[in-house]
Order: sequence, then C-alpha cells, then structure tokens
Amino acid sequence: MSNEGESLLEVERISVRFGGLIAIADLSFGVREGEIVSLIGPNGAGKTTAFNAITGYLQPASGEVRYRGRRLTGLKPNQVAGIGVVRTFQKTSLFEGNTVFDNVLIGLHRAGRQTLVGILLRLPGMREEERRLRGQAAEVLDFVGLAHRAEEYASALPYGEQRLLEIAVGLAAGPQMLLLDEPASGMNPAETAAFMKMIQQIRDRGITILLVEHDMRMVMGISDRVVVLNQGEVIAEGAPASIQRDPEVIRAYLGSGATHA
Amino acid sequence: MSRLAALAVVAFFVSLPLWMTDQYFLHILIGTGIFTIAAMSLNLLLGYTGQLSLGHVAFFGIGAYTSALVSLGFDVTLFGWTVTLAPKPVWFAFLCGIVMAGLAGWFIGKVSFKVRGAYFVIVTISFAEVVRLVALNWIDLTEGPMALNNIPPVTLWLPWLGEKTFWHKTPNYYLVLVIAVIAFEIIRRLVQSRLGRSLVALRENEPLAMSVGIDVTRSLVVATIVSAAIAGAAGGLYAHYIRIVDPDVFLFIYTVTMVIMVVVGGKGTLWGPVVGGLLFGILPDFLRDMAAPEVQWIIYGVIMIVIVFFLPQGIVPAVNGWLRSLGTAVRGATAAKEDRA
Amino acid sequence: MEQFFQHVVNAQILGGTYALLGIGLTLIFGIMRVVNFTHGELYTFGAYMLFMFVMLLGVNFFVGILLAIVLGVILGALIEITLLRPIRGADIDTTMLVMIGAWIAMQNLEQLTWSGIAKSVTAPFPSEPLVVAGVSVGWDRIFVFASAIVLIVGAHALIHRTQLGKAMRATFQDRETAALMGVKINRIYTATFALGSGLAAAAGALLAPVFVVYPTMGDMAALKSFAIVILGGLGNFWGAALGGFILAFVEEFGAGYLSSGYRDAMGFLLIIIILIFRPTGIFAQKERIG
Repeated sequence: MSNEGESLLEVERISVRFGGLIAIADLSFGVREGEIVSLIGPNGAGKTTAFNAITGYLQPASGEVRYRGRRLTGLKPNQVAGIGVVRTFQKTSLFEGNTVFDNVLIGLHRAGRQTLVGILLRLPGMREEERRLRGQAAEVLDFVGLAHRAEEYASALPYGEQRLLEIAVGLAAGPQMLLLDEPASGMNPAETAAFMKMIQQIRDRGITILLVEHDMRMVMGISDRVVVLNQGEVIAEGAPASIQRDPEVIRAYLGSGATHA
Repeated sequence: MSRLAALAVVAFFVSLPLWMTDQYFLHILIGTGIFTIAAMSLNLLLGYTGQLSLGHVAFFGIGAYTSALVSLGFDVTLFGWTVTLAPKPVWFAFLCGIVMAGLAGWFIGKVSFKVRGAYFVIVTISFAEVVRLVALNWIDLTEGPMALNNIPPVTLWLPWLGEKTFWHKTPNYYLVLVIAVIAFEIIRRLVQSRLGRSLVALRENEPLAMSVGIDVTRSLVVATIVSAAIAGAAGGLYAHYIRIVDPDVFLFIYTVTMVIMVVVGGKGTLWGPVVGGLLFGILPDFLRDMAAPEVQWIIYGVIMIVIVFFLPQGIVPAVNGWLRSLGTAVRGATAAKEDRA
Repeated sequence: MEQFFQHVVNAQILGGTYALLGIGLTLIFGIMRVVNFTHGELYTFGAYMLFMFVMLLGVNFFVGILLAIVLGVILGALIEITLLRPIRGADIDTTMLVMIGAWIAMQNLEQLTWSGIAKSVTAPFPSEPLVVAGVSVGWDRIFVFASAIVLIVGAHALIHRTQLGKAMRATFQDRETAALMGVKINRIYTATFALGSGLAAAAGALLAPVFVVYPTMGDMAALKSFAIVILGGLGNFWGAALGGFILAFVEEFGAGYLSSGYRDAMGFLLIIIILIFRPTGIFAQKERIG
C-alpha cells in the first residue's frame, strides 16, 4: 500500500510554546505524495497543535514546515489553503446559519475568480462561474452522500452527517493535501467503515491525507504509515503493524488508557 | 422579494411626487431616503459581515464635508503650507466625497482586523468622535460650529432638459431615489456573489473561512470601503440638499438611528434597512404632534429592546417567516380540501 | 513652572473620577463582556440624584452623595435583572443593542424629567481655594479627589477581600469552572453590574457640584470610560485606575500646552493609536480569546 511518491509535506524540528508550557518540543516527520499518514498519540500529545502549526493558525517558536519545498511557516491560514493544504477541525466546525449546499459553495471559494469590478458590473463571466460552482458543489455533496440534505440548514443535521459536511467543505476547497483532525470521532462502527472507504476514495482521487485519529481500527485499516506523538515528540514511526507492537507506543498509551484496538 | 415586487415598490416611489403634493412630506421622504442609503451601507458591515461598527456616521459626515468643501472651494493653512482649492462642480465634489469616505473606510477596515469584538466597537466610536471634534475645532477649514453655508445644490446635465440646477424638492427627491436604487443594487450584487459569501463566512466561522482560502482581512477591507463609500454618497446628498453642514452630522445619535433602522428592519437582509429606514424616517413625523421628541426617543429605545427580545432577526425575516408558514398552511389546507373532495 | 504643577493637580482630580468611571466599566466589561452603553447614564443619574437630594429636598450634602451612590447601585442591579438576564448567552451585538435602547430611553427620560436646562449643585465648601506654592485647588475638588481615592480603595477591598469579590474574580478568570465550583453566576453578574454602576453614579455625584448637570453629560463620560478600559485592559482594575489618571493627564496637558479645543479628542486619539499597536491595551494581562 505504500507509495514511492515524492515528499510533499516536511515538518522539520518545530516547537510550539504557550507561555511556559511546551506543547511541541521537537517535531519532525514527513508525508509523501499519495500517502495516507495517521498521526496518533494520547490526549495532549500535541496533535491538533501540530495541525495548527502546519496550517498557519499558530506560529512555531522554531523549526520549519515545507510543502513541495516551499516554506509554509509564517503564512496565514488562508495562504496555506491557497497552496492546496486544507485542514478540518477537531470540534465540529461549520457555517451553522447556512444551508448544506451553501456551506459547500463557500468552500469552493478558491475555485472562483470573481473580482469586485466584475461583480458590480455583472461582467459576462460571472454568471457562468456561478453556474459552474453550483455544479461542483452538487458533485461534492454527491460524493460524500449528502445530496439529499442540500437545502437543509447545517445546524439541523445529525452529528454524523455534520462531520461528513465538514469533509465536503474541505474537499470543495480543492486540496492537494487534506489534514483531517479526528474526522471519525463520535461515529458508530457502520459510519466509520463507510468513512474509511470514503477516505480511500479521496486518496484515489490524488489527494494526500494526513489524519489525526483515536479510532485504532480506522488507523490500522487505512494508513500507509503511522506517526506516534507523545508529549510533543515523535516516539515511533512506521507501518501500522510495527507500530502496534512497539513497546514505546504501548507504554505511552497505557499511561492515558485511550485505545480502541 | 421577487423582481416584480421590487419593481412595484420602485414604481410606487417614482410616481409619488406626481400625486402627493405636500412639499413638507416630500422633504421628510428625501431625508428618509438619505438615511436609508446610509442604513443600507451600515447593514453591509453590521448585518452581513458582522462587524460591530458604530462609527458609521463618520463616513457619512466625511462624505458630506468633503463634497461641501470641494464645491465651495477652500483655502486652509496647515503646518505652514497653504492649500487652496477653487470651487468645483457639484458632481465632482460628490465623487470626492465618496472617495474620501472610502479612504476612511479603508483605514477602519485595516484597523478592524487587528482589533476585534468589543474593542472594535470602541475604536469606531472613538474615530467618529475624533472626526467630530476635528470638524468642530478646525474652524479654518470647516467653519466649526458656524457651519458651512450656502452649499450649492446639485447641477446636472439631463437628456432633453439640458443643464438643470436642483433648487426644488422634486428633482432632489428623484436624485435620492436614483442613488438609493443604485446603492441597493450594488449591495445586492455584492452580497449575492462570491465576495458576499466570504463575508458571511467570516462572520459565521472565521477559522473555517480561512481554512478554505478566504482572505479575511481583504474581504473585510473591501466590505468596509464599499460600505463607507455608499455612506459618503449619502452624506454628499445631504450636503447639497440641506445645503448646510455642521459638526453635528457626526453625532453618535445618528449612528444609533442607523443602527436602529438596520436592526429593527432586519440585519443581514437586503430589504431590512429599507423597511427600517422608512419606518424610523417617517414615524417621527407622524408622532410629532402627539409626543415630544424625548418621548419619541424613549419609544424608539423601547422598540429596540422589544425587537431584540422578541423578534431578534428584525421585521423583514419575521414577516418572511410568517408568509412562509402561511403559505405552507394554505397549501396544506387546499391539499386537505382536495383530498376531501 | 507653576503652570505645570497646576496642570498636574487638575489632572489628579479629574483622574480620580475618571478612574472610578473606568474601574466601574472595566469590571462590567471584563466580567460580563457587555458593551455597557448605560454607563454614562448612571453617571448622569448620580449627578441628578445629588441635585434632587441637596437642592430640592434639602438633604445634607454628604448624605446626598451616599444616597446617590446607593441609588446608582440599585438602578444598576435593576437594569441587569430586567434587561440583561433575560438575554443571557446571546451574542455581543444583541446585548449591545439592548444597552443602546436602554441608553436612549434613559437619557430622554432624564431630559423629560429635568428638562435640558443645566442645573447646578452647591457644595458646602469654602469658596476660597487652597493655595500651596502658587498652585490653587478648590476645597470642593480636594473633596472629590479624596472621595474618589476612598471609593477606589473600597472597591479594591471588596474585590480582593470579600467572598463576593473572590467569586467575581473567579468568574472573570474562567466562567465555566467558577459555575462548576458553585459560584452563582447570575448573582455575580448582578453584583458586578450594580457595583460598576454605583461607581459611575459616584463619579457623577462627585463631579456635579464642580461642573453643571445636564441630560447629555453622560455621553462624554461613557466614551471616556470606554477609552480608559481599553487603555487599561479589559477587566484590569489597576489598569483602569491608572488609565483614568493617564487620560486625565493627557487631556489636561494636551489642552494646556497644545490646544484646548481638542482636549476631548486627545484621549480618543491616544486610544486609537494604542489599539493599533497593542490591540489588547497597554496593561492587559489576560490573552484575549479569538
């Protein structure tokens, strides 16, 4: 299942500090094109913080993050997304006051090209673009299986479907690489299994995936590689099977007791 | 609101001076129209973008003063340099007013990104206060409390009529109506576009908006510039209709009036500020004989509180909701009738 | 040189009352996150109450001041219970709008009740000012300054030495945890709003004999209170106190040496400049969320 793809994301020795608290001490890992990499670790290990540092929501105190050789550190989150690195959030994050369809439409922001002048003067390309975007939105909703919910408000959706909508919004942003923060949390086994298939379909479309997850079945089931974090540092890295047997990993988890394996 | 209904409303207002000859009421409507334009522009910031901008009257006043000053000409000495400007035609002055207001909007937009929430409210209020105090004290330029007088009315070249100067109420009424429709249309196009979606996105969930590539600062700045420019246009209209401009245009109470119009009418909707504007523009005139101005304001204050408590979305969304449930009920009833038949 | 010290003394006196206003608002703003537009109206209310007691009812001046403060506290509590509690949990613009509505209603009520003509309150102090080293200070102003200091110290004691104050500080730090620990948030909010309002009323009552009393006097006071809160950082007691004095100094010296017309503008300009470079205020300790 592993690929010989070129290195896409390089996290090099980043550290993140909150006042006196060191959230991430010295983190380095990489993701290759076409991979599905899972970032796991006990709660508080620094996984979401790593996501925030990679995608510009936090500035690392030291170290660098590179994407296709280009510096990501120091960019603002919307600039990071502009390069094609899109992340989702651990806590359900949607445009609650909008319909499902509009949520995805907003997500398609990068696919649009309207300028202020064009908008105000109703230049010809504008209507064409709107039509195209709406078509794309419908496609994305189809893919995640939410087409039947298009006109409902995002806040009215059941939890599992809200998480699917989050994926849809992330996909709409046209990512080359998707960073998913605990996307399956709260899903029942059936939903999780369907979700795993969807992740693989996303990868088959050419999108590289970096995943933070607690559900071990999912992690072991779809990952090409697993990176294990504990207290802000990588303590193990490799194929899922070897990680499961790694004594360091087991020790780290026994401390917090969070396993589904 | 459907296209047809909107056209009907516009047609109604176009026809109004033909059958309503009361000049005083026309005057009220013109003032209402000017304020409604300002309210629409505030709605773009307060309603769509969700920015707590309470210094809006600053843009209005800057537009008014700039347009007045450029049309009157001025000469002022600042730090040893003298700047002189000969009087310019009103249409040019009007555009200058819009540009200056837009610049002020750019400044506020930039600041608003660094300073959020409650702090931003205070910055905007302070900004308007500073501008008011400058207008009050820079007597060399603005005549301070003595006010700028004899501001020329609008002079335009119209097809079939040649060059006309708008001395009377009726042409001013139509001018305000035209600008109002243009402003409405600008806002509508903006709001129903990709940019409009970005504004709503950044209001609803800023981190998520950023994660899909929306440049929050840029969107905010653009919205503020457009909003300020439209408010500046309203200010310009005010200057050349009332033809006197004094520092009282910057009073906080006028921002509050606009806020009431937007909130009661329905923030974040296109017709909300129009409804609110008409309501609070015309209401004072009806109540004039019945209650002292203080009592009126108490009523407005209470209305504001009541609306926030019971109709938090404002009048327009509430009415829309009722119409929708009425429609559903009617459909249900006719369907039931058909079933029984 | 005497000019300089005269300015310093004037600034101190004004600073004391500004500090009261600022502390009152920073508590409300900081603990409750409400943009309290009625703060200025409580200031006006305090002034009118003193006028009513002393000039209309012949009550002793010092008793009048106390009564004005107490009534300010009660009014604050009433406002909180009737207007803010029902919309607890709503977003910041909702509460802001309700406060704006209340402010308009209150100010016009004052106007109706007392008419727009300025009123004055006579204070029982000798009219000969105290002159020390060429600097003259009216006895009434000395009283204002002293009272302000007493109230500031008193407020600080309340916040740092009582159970109530402890609960208030806990709520400021972390509302959820405070609630879990048994703090009755509703009561704390009412108490906070009442306290803040009482301080504003105190400022108004203290300054009433020094200046004149008129219905819109609260507007400037409110604006300056906001400015002071920003200077000092949200919820920062000493920041607000210091901010009050700084604002007074900036105004006094700006007016004295630069231009008196722009006196009021000084403070606002200062605020805007500070916020551009330090969006959390000069002395802010807590990180802003979001």
